[in-house]
Amino acid sequence: MSRRYDSRTTTFSPEGRLFQVEYAMEAISHAGTTVGILAKDGVVLAAEKKVTSKLLEQDQSSEKIFNLSDNIIAGVAGITADANSLVNYARNQAQKYLLAYDDDMPVEQLAQRLCDLKQGYTQYGGLRPFGVSILYAGFDDHHHFQLYHSDPSGNYSGWKATCIGNNNGTATSLLKQDYKDDIGIQEAMGLAAKVLSKTMDATSLDSEKLEFATITLDPRTKKPVGRVFKPNDIDRLLEKHGLAKPKDPEAAAAAATSAPAQGEAMAVDS
Amino acid sequence: MNSILSRFSSTNALPANFDNEGGRQDFQDSINGAPAQFDLPGTEPARFLSQYTDVDSSNPAARIKLQHGTTTLAFRYKGGIIVCVDSRATAGSYIASGTVKKVIEINPYLLGTMAGGAADCQYWECRLHELRNKERISVAAASKYLSNIVYSYKGMGLSMGTMICGWDKTGPALFYVDSDGTRLKGDVFSVGSGSTFAYGVLDQGYHWDLTDAEAQELGRRSIYAATHRDAYSGNTINLYHVKEEGWEFIANYDAMNLHYDGPGDNVPGAPGGGYGWDVRTQGLSSKLEATEGQQTSGQGGRFADEQPLTASVQPPQA
Amino acid sequence: MECSFGITGKGYTIIASDSNAARSIVKMKTDEDKQKVLSDHLVMTYSGESGDTLQFSEYIERNLRLYGIRNHVELRPRAAASWIRAQIADSLRTRNAYQVNLLLGGFDLPTSEPALYWVDYLGTLATVPFAAHGYGAFFALSTLDRYHRPDMSLEEGLDLLRRCINELKTRFIVDLGTFKVRVVDREGVREVKL
Repeated sequence: MSRRYDSRTTTFSPEGRLFQVEYAMEAISHAGTTVGILAKDGVVLAAEKKVTSKLLEQDQSSEKIFNLSDNIIAGVAGITADANSLVNYARNQAQKYLLAYDDDMPVEQLAQRLCDLKQGYTQYGGLRPFGVSILYAGFDDHHHFQLYHSDPSGNYSGWKATCIGNNNGTATSLLKQDYKDDIGIQEAMGLAAKVLSKTMDATSLDSEKLEFATITLDPRTKKPVGRVFKPNDIDRLLEKHGLAKPKDPEAAAAAATSAPAQGEAMAVDS
Repeated sequence: MNSILSRFSSTNALPANFDNEGGRQDFQDSINGAPAQFDLPGTEPARFLSQYTDVDSSNPAARIKLQHGTTTLAFRYKGGIIVCVDSRATAGSYIASGTVKKVIEINPYLLGTMAGGAADCQYWECRLHELRNKERISVAAASKYLSNIVYSYKGMGLSMGTMICGWDKTGPALFYVDSDGTRLKGDVFSVGSGSTFAYGVLDQGYHWDLTDAEAQELGRRSIYAATHRDAYSGNTINLYHVKEEGWEFIANYDAMNLHYDGPGDNVPGAPGGGYGWDVRTQGLSSKLEATEGQQTSGQGGRFADEQPLTASVQPPQA
Repeated sequence: MECSFGITGKGYTIIASDSNAARSIVKMKTDEDKQKVLSDHLVMTYSGESGDTLQFSEYIERNLRLYGIRNHVELRPRAAASWIRAQIADSLRTRNAYQVNLLLGGFDLPTSEPALYWVDYLGTLATVPFAAHGYGAFFALSTLDRYHRPDMSLEEGLDLLRRCINELKTRFIVDLGTFKVRVVDREGVREVKL
């Protein structure tokens, strides 16, 4: 029977593998790409939104990047329904921590907490694992800015820059090439946009197909602020880095020359 | 009350209730539907009445007792005696008055302070007036006289703690007298619910050779400390100074003003500025200035030398 | 009759508690350490119902250690205080609540600030520049109000503590004996002889 070792999550194959878990990971590598880059003064998350139909009403709120708490944002790749459930769980845990300790939950601990849940599904009861990988970007006073990745098996790891979902191999080699240790948040946003432009099928990018978010420190209060970009902000960011879809040839030429000047006053610089 | 009841009662049952032979007749009547008797409180009528008597009642025997919380102090030093008191009167948790005079000016050389039931204190004040008729009485004798009076009332519910301060042939003299009959001669006394707080400042700042300005400041600060920490003390502070020529009233201070602004400009002994901790220490910080190369992350320090998980390589999937 | 004090100054927190263990009118021990060092930068004094104090303080000690082992970081003083307060508040709604009063003295590395928290058996938590539990509060709080400054040097801080203990010696009817004193600063926790 060929289906002996993969119909249950809790059964090892003779080679010592958990096929269901591996299939879950496989599902993720077909999902839209999500990139995370750790900069010295913040963390960037960028995600590809798969537009399935022209007729689909575009959601105003984001569907792949979420605020988990005051100090942590997350980008997901995989089954959206599973992701929503995990995001809800994560928000719950972060608030519970805040209630008990009157302090923001350390980023690593939140990642750990979700991994405990995910791991449970690779071991207990005839249920399928979560088909979701998550990037956690956050700030805490212990280790300052951090970026973590967790997968359906319940493994997690910390990164300077990483990528999940479709084409993550290409994205990762691009990140390896261009990542510098002292990268700033502005540069990181540009790099994230560039990586996505290479991994996505579309020839040009716009706010319909992208989600963007950063976590930085408020210069006045020194408290972390997570910001999920509005479509306008994304378009301006793409324009700044010359990755936007040309509206018409003339406008494109004009944009190319005036982009740097505009860039100074853009909201994305904050 | 039952006589009133009988007048309005529709049956004629009431007189029968007081008939000895028909012991349980009242019970019978109430079953018939006519109430025969009001329930009376189970306590003695006097206590029942006083419970419901108005604060403004003209009957002195029924006045509500006040002033269980108070702070008063007096101390002797080379320049005489400082007497300082608060002015709050409380009835339970209710501040009944904020302008009570707790220093009694017995004669130009004698002062008394009062703490305890206010009515009790005012009672012996009258008796002390008799002292005026004689020649200047010594502080020891005056306090002994008072002590004897209150002792004769012992067990009758009198409650007070007082300090008799004055200047006589022996110089400045200070006695503590209370309603138990205790009479103590001493240098430093504080009485009332806020006394421990007053002592906390007074003891630490007291020595015999204080100047007049220092002594007055110490008295003010001590009572201020008590008004700050004791909810039953507060409002304003009265300060007196007993000297060889007799006592002198120095001033009345609002405790809140002392907290924020101090006793005012050019008050001898006062350093200027408010007495309050938050006012006094404004702008001061316990934060340590950052030093060169200081490690601030890695909370708790125990694992500060461990590498954070953020420093990692690239994804294995790549 | 138990008494404990806490004083913060420039870059440090002083924690002191009397060292008597009494039962009824009898002194059972005069060198009892009624403090627990919870982490490198956190100390706690405890007083209250005997039995409860020991059980509760050990429960706290072990749980904070567990947090440190699990998460590779120690809780910051503020977070630890909040959690400890929550334990008391939860216990208060049970049939046999812990009747324990605490002072938590610490040093917060990220902000370089000393920290002092006053916690009582009802689950009240107050962040304070100085604190006292027990009868000592009646005598010494006004002394502390009068003489404390947030920017005091360690020697000034210890002098202030001496003042408070001196006030108890002169006015409090009971002699509380010697005090156990610990100082927390950036370097950690250490015991100090007065």
